[in-house]
Amino acid sequence: MARSIAIVEDEPLIRANYVEALNRFGYEARGYGSRGDASTAFAMRLPELVIIDIGLGDEPEGGFDLCRELRAKSATLPIIFLTARDSDFDVISGLRLGADDYLSKDTSLHQLAARIAALFRRIESLKAPASSETVVSHGPLKLESERMRVTWNGIEIPLTVTEFWMVHTLVRFPGHVKNRDQLMREAELVVDDATITSHIKRIRKKFIALAPDFDAIETVHGVGYRWHP
Amino acid sequence: MTLRRKLLLVALCTLVLPLAGWLYVRQMESLLRDGQAQALSASARALARTLAVLDTDLPSARGGWYVQDTAVPITVDGYGDDWATLTPWSQSLPGNAKLMLAREGDWLYLFIDVRTAHRTRPDVFDNAARRADHVTLLLGRGVEQRRYLIASDAPGAVTATSIDEAAGNLPAQLQAQWQEDGSGYRVELRIPASVTLDRLGVGVYSAAAGGDPVAQETRPLMGFSPSTSAELGRLAPPEVRVRLLAPGAWLLAQHGRLGLTDLPPAKRPGWFASLVYASLLSRRLDPAAEWAEDAPRVDLPEVRQALGGAPAVAWRAGQSRGSVVLSAAMPVDVEGSVRGVVLLEQANRDVPLLANRALLGLFIISFLALLVAGGVLLAFATRLTLRLRRLRDAAELAQQNDGRLDGRFPLTDASDELGDLARSFDQLLQVVGGYTDYLRTLASKLSHELNTPLAIVKSSLDNLEQAALPPEAGPYLARARDGVARLGTLVRAMSEASRMERAIAAAEAEDVDLAAVVGGCAAAYRGLAGDRSVECVLPEGPLRMHAAPELLAQALDKLFDNALSFTPPGGWLRVSLREVPDGAQIEVANQGPPLPEAMQGRLFDSLVSLRDRATPGDAPHLGLGLYVVRLVAERHDGSASAHNLADGSGVAFVLHVRPMTRHRL
Repeated sequence: MARSIAIVEDEPLIRANYVEALNRFGYEARGYGSRGDASTAFAMRLPELVIIDIGLGDEPEGGFDLCRELRAKSATLPIIFLTARDSDFDVISGLRLGADDYLSKDTSLHQLAARIAALFRRIESLKAPASSETVVSHGPLKLESERMRVTWNGIEIPLTVTEFWMVHTLVRFPGHVKNRDQLMREAELVVDDATITSHIKRIRKKFIALAPDFDAIETVHGVGYRWHP
Repeated sequence: MTLRRKLLLVALCTLVLPLAGWLYVRQMESLLRDGQAQALSASARALARTLAVLDTDLPSARGGWYVQDTAVPITVDGYGDDWATLTPWSQSLPGNAKLMLAREGDWLYLFIDVRTAHRTRPDVFDNAARRADHVTLLLGRGVEQRRYLIASDAPGAVTATSIDEAAGNLPAQLQAQWQEDGSGYRVELRIPASVTLDRLGVGVYSAAAGGDPVAQETRPLMGFSPSTSAELGRLAPPEVRVRLLAPGAWLLAQHGRLGLTDLPPAKRPGWFASLVYASLLSRRLDPAAEWAEDAPRVDLPEVRQALGGAPAVAWRAGQSRGSVVLSAAMPVDVEGSVRGVVLLEQANRDVPLLANRALLGLFIISFLALLVAGGVLLAFATRLTLRLRRLRDAAELAQQNDGRLDGRFPLTDASDELGDLARSFDQLLQVVGGYTDYLRTLASKLSHELNTPLAIVKSSLDNLEQAALPPEAGPYLARARDGVARLGTLVRAMSEASRMERAIAAAEAEDVDLAAVVGGCAAAYRGLAGDRSVECVLPEGPLRMHAAPELLAQALDKLFDNALSFTPPGGWLRVSLREVPDGAQIEVANQGPPLPEAMQGRLFDSLVSLRDRATPGDAPHLGLGLYVVRLVAERHDGSASAHNLADGSGVAFVLHVRPMTRHRL
């Protein structure tokens, strides 16, 4: 049975485009135009993945409120924020609320689909026992690519899909400098350099929050980043 | 010229005050003098009338022979030595001769000096004497008169015999002395005073000149009269010297002296006052007429005028220092003919106390007024200047600060025109500030609003790709996608400034080696420079600083991007790092056209771009790159600047950064 996806987006044309595209990808997508509609529908049945626009009609932060409601109902429901606003503040707020990823509307449907697929794959793999082939260990770091889980000294680091892909890219070839274009490509992302920089910063912060002596991600100024073993 | 100087110049207008005062005092002085002159003139007129009415003994209008009084005894010898004091007032005779008459003791002396180059000598007892050079005398009293002929062929005593019949007690002969030299001859004789004469005739005959041998110039005799003087004394006003003059300005009578009572020293004007008076107030005076003091003839201009029939007044310097003499001459008119002149003279102090005191007061007051006016104007101008400067400083500060001013604009509370100006400035700044803010936020607002339609187009294109399309639609789809991508870049660029502002504000500092940052960036740029050379100049060792390396790298990216776009193909670029006492300087220099002077200060402002219109396909230039550099510099407590290289080969952009303050968590 097709997986159900809810799209909460106030702009009907975009909503229609997304719903049609996701349906074509084989999901059962439904669109909602307002927080109220979405809440009512979610009260009856929770979808398996939710894509939320932050600004909803008259409520500029309606998406955040909806996310909070959903998190209260389910801790594991994958949530993707989608917005025209791509400022760092919004990114940080969205993630603190527990979103699994955050995408600007620039992102192509193909990239969106890749994320959705990755999130569903993670849910699947979490149900199954860990397969050792997909685990990359590097000192205190342990990276499970199927489950999209990263642990440092056994402590799990809560990374979003995009962040996980970035870390994965770096860790696969430790010591190799990855420039921003490479990181973007691997993370299925089209953003500018400054956004990459802020993603890396956030990844570092998430590590440092749980392991204060973390300094494995090294900046090579003017070029990019590398995993420093 | 500053406002203060101008106002001081304006203050000079108060100099009109002393000028007006000076003119006034001068006029007053002039009026006083005129009054005095008129009073004296009136006295003279009254005196002249009185004399005319009293029928005082006055000579005829034709004049007469003046008999001088002399104290020197005269010896009749034909020589003029004892006449020396009288010589200046000798009377002319026809035939180049001079006549002098003097009274001394009981005698009337007579001296005739004839100048002649041709002598024709006669014999006294010869009738032909009348044809030779001779002098004829006529003595007359009432109806009686007798003529005498004096001639001599040699110097010495000579007897003048009468050529008329005897008349009264007029003598038959006169004893005379005859002396001569190469230039002429002199005749001296005396007549006893007992022979009272009322007229005298003198004739000089020269054989060479010809004419009537017995013709005489006959005139009444006149002289200084003590009795008339006494009479004048009774009529004259006090403290005035009065003189009665005959036609020819001969002195007939005199009374009074030109006395000037001395003031006590305290009241006497000082030398300064005298100088001020002399240079500013006094009218030009005729020079002192010293020779006219005790002379028998008072030949002054005003006397000559009065003898012509018109009254006259004159001021002249007095004999003693510091005095002036006012003299009024009035003709004595008897039956229509001028028979004499009354001359009244009065001595005055040359510095009238009233005028002097007034003048001094005027000077002190106007000087004080000038001082006060100048001081007040200076203070006013200073205050005005200070206020204007505050206004200017605030305006300049606001201009440097993109039209924003911390705090209120100064002087907006003032109620005068400067206050109006300040309020206008304030409003202008608010308008400009609003406009600047609008411009600043326009791009990001616009990009935000454009994002949604862009997303619609993009997602629609994504869906379109999945739809069944004829093969010929492929290229169009690709072009639409390309256009959307470009539009997306543009929209992102528009919001870059606000995103950078937020990013820069949120940036966190760390201890970093700037040499490594700059070196790494420069190494990366080599790949982007193509055929242009990139030189990197770094300090010897590491340059550690508490800074935000991402921001610096971004600023460097912008600077390099900017430099690269202005460097001609095959040109050079130079990235250098220098340590300076309070931080570090990162410089990006490139070969290329120099910066226009006017733009140098504004390059780092938002939305300022020097570039030509971007070629199609290039990323758009909104003039935000260097603005980001400035923001980064300011985040590092430093500054960004641009200048042309000294040798004119290119341009250098300098990013001056200082260590960021450490925040403790």
